[in-house]
Amino acid sequence: MSAVATPTLTKARRSALTPRPKIWLYVVLALGFVAMIFPFIWMILGSFKTNAEIRANPLGFLPEAATLDNYTQLFGRLDFATYFTNSVVVAVSVTVGNIIFSSMVGYALAKLQFRGKKILFALVLGTLMVPGVVTFVPLFVLTSNLGLVNSYPGLILPFLITPLGVFLMRQFISGLPDDIIEAARIDGASEWRIFARVIMPLCGPAVATLTILTFLGSWNNFLWPLVVATSEEKYTLPVALALYSVGQNAAQYGLMMAGAVVVVIPVLLVFVVLQRYFVQGIALTGIK
Amino acid sequence: MTTAAAVRKGSRAGRQTLIAWGFAAPFLVLFVVFMAGPIIASFVMSFTDLTTRDLRSPFNVNVIGLDNYVRLFQDERFVHSLLNTGVFVLVGVPLTMALAMLVALALNTGITKFRTVFRVGYYAPVVTSIVAIAIVWRFILQPDGLLNGFLGWFGIQGPNWLEDTFWALPSLIMMAVWRNIGTLMVIFLAGLQGVPKEHHEAAMMDGANAVQRFGNVTLPAMRPTVLFAAVITGIGFLQFFEEPFVMTRGGPLDATLSTAMYTFNQFGFGNYSYASAASYVLFLAIVVLSLIQFRLLKKED
Amino acid sequence: MTRLMTGVALTAAAALMLTGCGRTDGPAGTNESKGAIDDGPATGEITVWAMGNEGEVLDQLAAKFEDENPDVTVNVTAVPWESAHDRIATSIAGGETPDVSMLGTTWVGEFAATGALEPTPEGLVNPSDFFEGSWGTAVVDDVAYGVPWYVDTRVLYYRTDLAEKAGVEAPTTWDEYKTFAQALKDQGAKSGVSLPPGGFDSWQYIAPLAWQDGGDILSPDGSEFTFDTPAWKNAFEFYNSFFEEGIAEPTRFETGEIEQEFIDGTVGSFFSGPFHVGLLREQGGEDFADKFAVAQVPGESSRTSFTGGGNLAVFNDSENRDASWKFVRWLSEPETQIEWYGISTDLPSTQAAFEDPQFADDPYLSVFAEQLADSKAPPAIPTWAQVSAVIDQELEKVTRGDTTVDDAIATIQDQATSIGTGN
Repeated sequence: MSAVATPTLTKARRSALTPRPKIWLYVVLALGFVAMIFPFIWMILGSFKTNAEIRANPLGFLPEAATLDNYTQLFGRLDFATYFTNSVVVAVSVTVGNIIFSSMVGYALAKLQFRGKKILFALVLGTLMVPGVVTFVPLFVLTSNLGLVNSYPGLILPFLITPLGVFLMRQFISGLPDDIIEAARIDGASEWRIFARVIMPLCGPAVATLTILTFLGSWNNFLWPLVVATSEEKYTLPVALALYSVGQNAAQYGLMMAGAVVVVIPVLLVFVVLQRYFVQGIALTGIK
Repeated sequence: MTTAAAVRKGSRAGRQTLIAWGFAAPFLVLFVVFMAGPIIASFVMSFTDLTTRDLRSPFNVNVIGLDNYVRLFQDERFVHSLLNTGVFVLVGVPLTMALAMLVALALNTGITKFRTVFRVGYYAPVVTSIVAIAIVWRFILQPDGLLNGFLGWFGIQGPNWLEDTFWALPSLIMMAVWRNIGTLMVIFLAGLQGVPKEHHEAAMMDGANAVQRFGNVTLPAMRPTVLFAAVITGIGFLQFFEEPFVMTRGGPLDATLSTAMYTFNQFGFGNYSYASAASYVLFLAIVVLSLIQFRLLKKED
Repeated sequence: MTRLMTGVALTAAAALMLTGCGRTDGPAGTNESKGAIDDGPATGEITVWAMGNEGEVLDQLAAKFEDENPDVTVNVTAVPWESAHDRIATSIAGGETPDVSMLGTTWVGEFAATGALEPTPEGLVNPSDFFEGSWGTAVVDDVAYGVPWYVDTRVLYYRTDLAEKAGVEAPTTWDEYKTFAQALKDQGAKSGVSLPPGGFDSWQYIAPLAWQDGGDILSPDGSEFTFDTPAWKNAFEFYNSFFEEGIAEPTRFETGEIEQEFIDGTVGSFFSGPFHVGLLREQGGEDFADKFAVAQVPGESSRTSFTGGGNLAVFNDSENRDASWKFVRWLSEPETQIEWYGISTDLPSTQAAFEDPQFADDPYLSVFAEQLADSKAPPAIPTWAQVSAVIDQELEKVTRGDTTVDDAIATIQDQATSIGTGN
């Protein structure tokens, strides 16, 4: 599609596209921000308090006697390196798998015409809608019969391609204009080439979202690793941390907060790194 | 159409079908192995009377047909949980979506500074440990907590939120909305990127203001995204479990008992097939809700 | 066409699976023991699952077992408490059980019914070595599965300074109990005694009252529930009277909240297990230690309390049952149990262990030992969790005034009967 000659915008109109900052909006957002981040900050501060202090003064903010005890306990008692590695291996594998495979299916559902398309989509959605808890035990029996208990494949495979990932990519890709694809087809590109070279690069925000959601889901996944990892060397971080949530019949809040902070850091890192891809726009003009 | 063109079109369709299924092959393999089997098994199980004692010999059970389903609807606690879940969804989903959309818009076009800070901040509740959230929110909702203190400034006497059979559920809805705005904000932010700037410019040339542009340019372009958001939020809220579990344990007197929690309890009692049946009732609700959402929000291709 | 075929295939598969189903009457799995265990040393390898704190420190004790039996290796895997039940259930379903596992006392009935647990071999231990209520938690249908490992029981914690000011002593009867609590309240406590107003696990506070009045949960032959009896009615009325008369505030405390309330004097007395001794001394500081004491629970025809704890069980699928049972037996010997107390502060389940001076001479532990001799546990039936949930629910309705005691008792009896004893 050749570029259409667009009349130049006058300065006034251009500035209306990017309006000057409205103070009231900042204030409202800031208030919301405080409400949102309050428990998160409490969690971080709590990790530096002793259990006793938290019990005595649950909502006090700054620690009276800041201590690194919770962290030393955590790293000391836990074989941290192993659990962290397990979590990383599983979460990264699941995320990468979804980026590749879920996108493939999503692309097919969004842009290709083929027989059985409706059934495939219904299958994907149907699986998404089944409450996970109900398939738990049969899935475990199956995994055990396949000899995958207490192994990385056992932890990874059931989540390698998630219906959520497929659905997400399908929705995003269906919003992309067809003309680009047609243009590429006319140029003789194979479907795979179109997928890899044309579609995926435009999916920055979608892939970023997919990565964040999948990584978060996998990283925090507790129930499945709990039953599949039967020996401690395959425990993921959430499972290992749960060992310390109830000790001596009293909740060890300081320790739990330290654990929660440790668990949250990689996810936040992923988020902070990827969220800049939310500002990738799509330029339609100038595409040949 | 000429015969040659028809043949070309036919073979193109055939080729596309092959390729499409090729793209879908990895998904299908994993689906058949890890999802289809367990789903069918658990569905079949819901028509039997399988309990803990049958764990080692799951085929040694009686087929009891629709008995589980009938018993479910005769249990007033189950019916109550369905009502609670319904209210939760009908109020919570639109609220979360609307607020998340507003935040996404504000962060996308409304402001220019501190975007990253705001994005991280609004996403924080999604990643904060539920334990920390429970402690803080319990403090806020205590009879002498923050919320009642705040209401006191306006001379309003707030109730004992979590112990009141009427206010417990709204409190949890508030908490769930607060917690889920972040996820939707992320999705909407990504979706907003897909709205071509050119369309905005064209609309402005035609003299449209911000609200009109939202309605006529942004929203239609974001239909697939909004549909996605509606479906997954609906699914999430229909299965809401964590909030009642940590805050009220389904109380007071089942005021916050969700169907997912009812199911969880039944699994805990070892009534596996009964719990399966409850899950599939929930599944039915999810399907119905999603169908409605698809009808309302489907993009005209 | 394809859609039709898929539909047919699925229906056929489902039908096939269903035709294979059908319960054969009779016990699931074998109920016979596989033979006695000798006195030789243990050999080979065993995997042991333990929860919470026990999971963390058990390997210290296991090392000693390995010293005494050089050819054996004991692998302890720590499992998180709150999800251990699911983990064990799924491992049974998938055939991936460990050799030995720790079990909550209320889980034995449920898991024994699956046939996954091996009955305790004849002669392995002497049942009368253990506290009666404790041994009862390991017995399902007259067969013992596993062995009690450690126990706890509930006693009355109370503020000695407030009691002294009020001129009252630790109560022994229900009447004295009420006067006592009222007196503590008059001294400024908001709740003379802290009782949960129904809801999750509140049955643990009301069942003892029924026991104290001579009632029980099951009939002596274990065939039916006995909630519809005067003992339970009295229990409910007595319990509710504390709220009606304003002696106790209807507040539910989460884990970790009550200690501060007790130290502040907001709560005058409460019921709990041995772990609170250490907690209160830690949180209350040096001075607080003199301000509280424990006493046996007050009662009517008996001063029965609630007992719980942890048991050990060996799985049928174990490939090394010899070493497994030897390890279990070793853990139940008094010397080992005393040492285990030192490592974990878990109370021994064997009565002989309490003759050790560290128990007999301790002002707190001696009370616990006394109480253990008169403690009961709920019946080891697979349906107990579900039945107790009904009690929790009805008790909450009663304390909220939504139903009468008679109606509540009748409802509990009805629902419990329809849930059944799982036998």
